[in-house]
Amino acid sequence: MRTIAVFRLSRKLNRSFATSLFLFVLLAVFGAFSALPLLYAVNNAFKPLDELFVFPPRFFVNNPTWDNFYDLVSLMGNSWVPLSRYIANTLLITIVGTAGHILLASAAAYPLAKYRFPGSRTLFSIVVLSLMFSGHVTAIPNYMVMSWLGWINTLTSIIVPSLAFPLGLFLMKQFMEQIPDALLEAAKIDGASEYRIYWTIVMPNVKPAWLTLMILQFPFLWGSDGGSFIYSENLKTLHYALGQITLGGIARAGVGAAVALILMVVPITLFIISQSSVIQTMATSGMKD
Amino acid sequence: MKSHLQFGLRPRTYAEKKALWGFVCVLPWLLGFLFFFFVPLLTSLRYSFSSVDASAQGVTVRFVGWSHYAEALTINTSFNRTLFESIANMVVNVPLIVIFSLFLAVLLNQKFIGRTAARAIFFLPVILASGIIMRLDSTSLVQAINEANAGANIMNTFTSYELAGMMMEAGVSETVVDYLTGAVDRIYQIVSQSGVQILIFLAGIQTISPQLYEASKMEGATGYEAFWKITFPMVSPLILVNVVYSIIDAFSTNAMTELIRDTGFKSFNFGLSSAMAWIYFLAVSVILLISTFVISRKVFYHD
Repeated sequence: MRTIAVFRLSRKLNRSFATSLFLFVLLAVFGAFSALPLLYAVNNAFKPLDELFVFPPRFFVNNPTWDNFYDLVSLMGNSWVPLSRYIANTLLITIVGTAGHILLASAAAYPLAKYRFPGSRTLFSIVVLSLMFSGHVTAIPNYMVMSWLGWINTLTSIIVPSLAFPLGLFLMKQFMEQIPDALLEAAKIDGASEYRIYWTIVMPNVKPAWLTLMILQFPFLWGSDGGSFIYSENLKTLHYALGQITLGGIARAGVGAAVALILMVVPITLFIISQSSVIQTMATSGMKD
Repeated sequence: MKSHLQFGLRPRTYAEKKALWGFVCVLPWLLGFLFFFFVPLLTSLRYSFSSVDASAQGVTVRFVGWSHYAEALTINTSFNRTLFESIANMVVNVPLIVIFSLFLAVLLNQKFIGRTAARAIFFLPVILASGIIMRLDSTSLVQAINEANAGANIMNTFTSYELAGMMMEAGVSETVVDYLTGAVDRIYQIVSQSGVQILIFLAGIQTISPQLYEASKMEGATGYEAFWKITFPMVSPLILVNVVYSIIDAFSTNAMTELIRDTGFKSFNFGLSSAMAWIYFLAVSVILLISTFVISRKVFYHD
């Protein structure tokens, strides 16, 4: 129906306007698929208890209230380990894990992309293949490695493996391969050291890549609950602590919805900040081939 | 550091120095990879040939040969069917996801009001699925809500369910209705699994120099030509990344992973579970090798 209307318009109006209208409608339709769950979560967090249990469930809230958030605050005030401790644990894991992963992965990807050393191709194939393996099966061997290292019940057991995720290396390598060799050679002829080339030429040119990597790694670590490696209460993460609240059953349904919203807001904010700071890079400008 | 390494040896050539420094840079990452990904992988290979018993004395591993593989392929009732279904689903979904995400990345790269918001909306499913919501385990209503958020339940209620009802009343035959609702559900799957791929393509498009587009415009190229002659070749290395990512992503949710987990942690048959994982791993690797071979012949590198 709608597309027909657009095509009719296109005969009279500027064609690019009609095309962009069509594309806008298309984006809106697909976007609706993605945005509905978030809208639902936001609405739930503001629903009073009686509205949460209406059957059939209603999508939009009728009488929005902050009750769920007040309940959450008073519940957390009574907890045995202070809330700030959980927040500190989560921040440590997320910040060190994300920043370290970007640094290690890009430092390793640079030589793999630009210097061929013996065995680099084999190494890279192993990395790609290891991505394909089911995490459930390596859970027990993983635990044994951790206990052999003596890292059980330390935050190190969460942070250090996250530094070496294969996906980051793979992503950074594919991006770095697109930087023209001529650019690096020109820098070298002008006397730049390897270290300087890496920091002032390679990294700025693949900025969109490591921002993407950050966006991928952050929510993953933010949502980490310590897994099977951490059992001390004062080392648990914010995600775990807030998750425990929802174990209270039906009475905690409203608080649970508030928790879900709070946990979602941080990664979404980070995403918006990082996406609006992305600019076009100039890797291939001035190349004459 | 450099002089230490060279002490007592003949001076290194430029190529050797490059190789050495390359290796030094890779080393920290490589150590982590070996400990936390490669060693567990090899251990699970060993488990797949053994019966694993955990007792108060520790874990005992007894070699049993190929029997777990034989059991998975010939005795286990659901393994073959699940394996086939998971792989078939993957083969259909992965190309669709890659094409859809490239298309959306090109759209989202254009300048329009609310571009960041639009990008955020398409990235939402990734945040929702990354465990933030899903791992809030509970037996209450919250869980039902969370599941609805993370999975397709809510979408089913809002799209295919009502659609199906309406069409049934209108007298459309059941086969047609099933086919259409199946397609709608697949669209939801594809949209919700494309978030990361869209971002990777977007980042790829952003590393293309705007001068290329300007030059092509001066020569009179249309937007269509610019896409096929500039955008597509420049992002082609990332098609491989996205194929690989889509396959990994399919892992975290599909029926095969559930079967592997249940065998390992509900029936406590860890050897059989490892064997299943290795068969699946090999099957997926073959698919990946074929697609890598096909794609890498088309990939364009700027040098």
